[in-house]
Amino acid sequence: MSIFEYNGSALVAMVGKNCFAIASDRRLGVQLQTIATDFQRISKVHDRLFIGLSGLATDAQTLHQRLMFRHKLYQLREERDMKPETFASLVSALLYEKRFGPYFCQPVIAGLSDGDKPFICTTDSIGAKELAKDFVVAGTAGDSLYGACEAMFKPDMEPEELFETLSQALLASVDRDCLSGWGGHIYVVTPTEVKECTLKGRMD
Amino acid sequence: MKLDTTGLESALPLFGTNCQMVDGFTAAPAFDLPTTLDFDGFQKEAIQMVKPAKGTTTLAFIFKEGVMVAADSRASMGGYISSQSVKKIIEINPYMLGTMAGGAADCQFWHRNLGIKCRLHELANKRRISVTGASKLLANILYSYRGMGLSVGTMIAGWDETGPGLYYVDSEGGRLKGPRFSVGSGSPYAYGVLDSGYRYDMSIEEAAELARRAIYHATFRDGASGGVASVYHVGPNGWKKLSGDDVGELHYKYYPVTPSTVEQEMVEVSGA
Repeated sequence: MSIFEYNGSALVAMVGKNCFAIASDRRLGVQLQTIATDFQRISKVHDRLFIGLSGLATDAQTLHQRLMFRHKLYQLREERDMKPETFASLVSALLYEKRFGPYFCQPVIAGLSDGDKPFICTTDSIGAKELAKDFVVAGTAGDSLYGACEAMFKPDMEPEELFETLSQALLASVDRDCLSGWGGHIYVVTPTEVKECTLKGRMD
Repeated sequence: MKLDTTGLESALPLFGTNCQMVDGFTAAPAFDLPTTLDFDGFQKEAIQMVKPAKGTTTLAFIFKEGVMVAADSRASMGGYISSQSVKKIIEINPYMLGTMAGGAADCQFWHRNLGIKCRLHELANKRRISVTGASKLLANILYSYRGMGLSVGTMIAGWDETGPGLYYVDSEGGRLKGPRFSVGSGSPYAYGVLDSGYRYDMSIEEAAELARRAIYHATFRDGASGGVASVYHVGPNGWKKLSGDDVGELHYKYYPVTPSTVEQEMVEVSGA
């Protein structure tokens, strides 16, 4: 198994009507052994921007700490929050700095930019940005997630329907992956509120 | 190395040479060996092909009322789950069970072959074969294919004249008699539950619950085990399937979701 599959992860973000949702699984494992079933993969950068980091858990934690540091500096200097597009460029630059000894992570960035337009993007482990209009996926269950999202996605979904769709897509995909699952975490973000839910899934 | 091809001999009696119709049947089928320049390298590759296959959890133990056999039902290819509904407990005959761990094709073929040989023994000797005898037949065949890349980690459980019998047989040629075994990548987790909860004088329900709990726990911790926990019991009158529970539902039966206290209540914010 490759280094990206050492801990196991599943991450997906999806766009709705003036809202977005980002979801992850909750397993932390060491190859086939499950160590924890409450691992947080998605973190809040600010109220309208979330980042999820899949791949090697230690690199995900370090990269997360470095990103929070850079964003706090930005907030002090500019006296405002970072826009999602800017943040995505920051992530891409930080990853490319380590081009010849990379972080073994694949980030998923999701936020609301100007005019409450939802913005999602993912990068590979060395910073190649991939913007998408509908959904982005990452992690060991990535292939299954592509299939499930492609089948279940509809444009301009309301927050409740988006929550339902993304939860079903995530749970269906991780049920086909040995290395991710054991529950789910989902954040649905609209211009006025952030809803955080834990999903009840198969624990095998 | 002389391969034991008795497993492949046809049971049909030889007719006269002038009968062409049954020629195809009477010729003993043989496994062709590949014609390669590097047979050792080929063998090594064949072994590596099935090496990750022992992603499973199976267990069996002897107790007062017979033998309890249990297994999960997941088949995985690397990280991908190829099936959640694989039958890993193979019914060799009405009073003997075999468990499957390792290569599915290898286990299925050789267990069926063992069933044939057991039946032939019954017909030739007018009495059932013992569990000792059946496990020895399988172990000898697997020993003769040692190093060829077969992957079989099986337990033969049955009830014969001497009472309940349980043997562990594997493709390295090992054959062990014992009261408790667990085989597969999830076996350490299953042993933890099985060894601490085991008592010889359990009732059938208690033993079934112990077996089910051990398989459930292995599916929780091991990524390569999951699906359905099947539990079989072998008694003096043969085997009987007791239960097949989906482990996803078993988890919430053992650990029901309790409503927790609210950490952060949403409040109305004026002028967002």
